[in-house]
Amino acid sequence: MNSPIQLTEDERDCYQEITNVAMGQAADRLARLLGVYVVLPVPNVNIIEVNEFKMTLKSLEGNSTVSAVCQGFIGAGIAGEALLIFNDASFNDIAKLLDYPGNLDRHEELEMLMDVANVLNGACIQGIGGQLDIDFSQSHPVVLGQHCSVAELLSQRENHWQKTMAIEINYTIEDHDINCDLLLLFTEDSVLHMNRLISFLLED
Amino acid sequence: MPNKVLICDDSNMARKQMARALPDGWPVEVIFAKHGEEALSLIKEHEFEVLFLDLTMPVMDGYTTLENIRKDDLPIMVIVVSGDIQPEAQERVKKLGAIDFVKKPVDQTRITAILTDYGIYRGTPNE
Repeated sequence: MNSPIQLTEDERDCYQEITNVAMGQAADRLARLLGVYVVLPVPNVNIIEVNEFKMTLKSLEGNSTVSAVCQGFIGAGIAGEALLIFNDASFNDIAKLLDYPGNLDRHEELEMLMDVANVLNGACIQGIGGQLDIDFSQSHPVVLGQHCSVAELLSQRENHWQKTMAIEINYTIEDHDINCDLLLLFTEDSVLHMNRLISFLLED
Repeated sequence: MPNKVLICDDSNMARKQMARALPDGWPVEVIFAKHGEEALSLIKEHEFEVLFLDLTMPVMDGYTTLENIRKDDLPIMVIVVSGDIQPEAQERVKKLGAIDFVKKPVDQTRITAILTDYGIYRGTPNE
């Protein structure tokens, strides 16, 4: 058995602050794309098991269906995935902001999902990498599911994740019914490596 | 008695980074607050040269803190320090009375320039 990964209070604080800066950059990009103000939360940083992770996701879901995009990133011995989960109710409002006329078909929704994922995932991943001096390479975004439940989403990915550091950012958009969750998941080995990288930020 | 500076941020690391970004050798006492409520009660007890204020915080966020400072007419200059770099965020805090906006991660040159512009920092003695 490997020794379990843990975070000290200082390390958690550091990841939270790094995320805070990165999600601000991402929100700025989204705000400019949609012409809105993005409300920024305090991000959650946790070491979690897959079981707990399922519960986290279920609590995001509520009663509605979701659509999700996943994008891997890797660099300097650190690997992870960014998972963007959209409440399906958000699509109508995003469509209005992006000037899509009429009712949306599945294809147009997919296009919007990809557009927003590209902006949010990309800016967030690069924002974190920039602060740690890592040039992350990103894979193409992959659609995990459209109009499905979180349980269905996870059934496809279960073997991928064991224990992970999860950073959760809940973006909402002011005056609009748009809600999405960005989860950044790092592998166990990556966390050990990142803890070494951030130690210089934590020096007095 | 040295002059006092107040740094309000929920992150311990961000507070330290902010303190390190103050001009080298500036003879001030630095006091920390973890959220807006703590900052407000400190402002009522002490006299500060300037408040460096984060926006996204639990208990009381930066916007509400600014509103309260204005409502109670507290005599303090506020510089907002935030990762929220949306143009709208900058406009809002200025409307609420902040004298300036600094994006995170903070940078000493920028902080020194702002403090100098507003006459809060007048150079270090013996330099």
